[in-house]
Amino acid sequence: MKIAVCIKQVPDITAPLHIQNGALVFDTNRMVLNAYDASAVEAALVLLENREGSIHLFLLGPDRAKETIRKALAMGAHEATHLLVPDDAALDAYLSASLLAEQLKQHTFDILLCGKQSQDTDAGLTGTMLAEHLALPYATNAVGLTLEDDLVVATRQGDAGQEIMALETPCLVTCSNDMNNPRIPSIKGIMQSKRKPVQTISVTPDATPSTQVMGYEPLPERTPGVQWEGEPLELARRLVHHLNDEARVLS
Amino acid sequence: MSKILTYLAVQDGKIKRASLEVLSHCRALAQEHGWTVESVLLHPDARSLATTAQQYGAETVYYMDHPQLQAHLNAPFLAALHAVITHANPHVVAFASSEAVKDMLGALAVRTQAAVLSDVASFHIIAGGVEAKRPVMASKLIARTQAQGARVLVSVRAGAYTAEEAPTEAALVPLPFTFDVDTLKQQVREVVQDALGTLDLSETQVVVAAGRGVKDEAGKALVTQLADTLGAAIGASRAVVESGLFPASAQVGQTGKVVSPDLYIAVGISGAIQHVAGMQNSRVIVAINKDGDAPIFNYATYGLVGDLYAVLPPLINEIKQVLPTTPE
Repeated sequence: MKIAVCIKQVPDITAPLHIQNGALVFDTNRMVLNAYDASAVEAALVLLENREGSIHLFLLGPDRAKETIRKALAMGAHEATHLLVPDDAALDAYLSASLLAEQLKQHTFDILLCGKQSQDTDAGLTGTMLAEHLALPYATNAVGLTLEDDLVVATRQGDAGQEIMALETPCLVTCSNDMNNPRIPSIKGIMQSKRKPVQTISVTPDATPSTQVMGYEPLPERTPGVQWEGEPLELARRLVHHLNDEARVLS
Repeated sequence: MSKILTYLAVQDGKIKRASLEVLSHCRALAQEHGWTVESVLLHPDARSLATTAQQYGAETVYYMDHPQLQAHLNAPFLAALHAVITHANPHVVAFASSEAVKDMLGALAVRTQAAVLSDVASFHIIAGGVEAKRPVMASKLIARTQAQGARVLVSVRAGAYTAEEAPTEAALVPLPFTFDVDTLKQQVREVVQDALGTLDLSETQVVVAAGRGVKDEAGKALVTQLADTLGAAIGASRAVVESGLFPASAQVGQTGKVVSPDLYIAVGISGAIQHVAGMQNSRVIVAINKDGDAPIFNYATYGLVGDLYAVLPPLINEIKQVLPTTPE
């Protein structure tokens, strides 16, 4: 069983940030493995727990993203391909998916896993773009993943319930962080990761991105609210009075 | 003349309200720019549903009513949308964001060679494309984003616009569904419906959401009773979905659904940024929490510091007394 996993390095969204002249400035420079991709790596490791196989990581990103490759190798993936782009490369989901697909076409795999979105932009486009480029059957937003004979069975969280999908291989599945809790690399895993093969290939986008961020803005300000303490009945009465007469949302 | 095409998603036998909101916005954009506004329906009952599309101002309604389009599966819906877009040749295609749309949008952009913007809070037409505001970084801020190209796909968060009736004499145009189901390499074995009421979170004007403070079935019963009293959908934070008390389809937040109802009542929710990302655009936010320092109070219009188990019973009573008629 060969599993390919696409991973991405993203800024730590829990770190403080601010906007300066319309540009985004992170107060720390901390970059992390996208949490949804960590779930994809974990899902691959779980699939191989009682099975022969290998996990090949694919990452598109600048030089510093190699830290993120090491992290996922330390979790237990076997090898990686780093599609290296310049630090200032202008990429959107469309160009990223094209570059990744071009590389993936040169490899064989049974399952291609991705995070369902990246936690910085929350766009959630690259996974299904890859599936289309590679003409793969796919399922998105998976919260469960198992193998049954030759079929991949993915449980995806749909709009009204969970859809249990059976997919022929090769296929693509995008993973929700509700699927699992990604393991923390062990010291042994970290030591071993340093000896695992990472192939670096320089790539250049062959077009300018069709989507671009023109600038960042703060959220519209909310009018500061009120906070009440007191006896439950008094609190309930006060709230209902305000919802009814002031906010006019009860009718 | 340029065209804007709106995809009208169907759920529980009706066009989703969120889709009608997007259609209303598209109609306004079309008027502003002298474009035509068209829509597409993919459902076995598409022909009868098309009257609703006419009510909301679509000038042409393309439809396919093949039985295969009853329930969501990405490959046939992608093929159908690709065929409609190829036929209608719109400059902009607009969707209400949902898990079904997220399941197709990137692939559809590649197949139709379109630029794409997903999950936007608002959008308008600019020379050569679309400009949108997208919440990013766990919705801590807004990215003003442009898509340039002969074709742009855009999906819009629920509640961004208001659905307004504007009846038209729309032409109904049936299109053939030519997808060969024998080529399918995936199938849906089963859909496990969540047992938590039938109200769709993104479709209602009131949401009652439960967090970690709701510890047991008794707490869940209070939350359900409050929701029933208000005719509200039930939401949940990740914590109570993980604990198994609430189903995953109720999850509101960066990972779950993004909602912006008129009234959002956060019961026992502390207000982690991942949750706030999914509800902060609600018009009125009520927070009920024991901990007066919980971050949810920073977003609350009305904050009640108190134990939900003590506050909800009198609250449900008081609401019943002011509501003209209690919804079933």
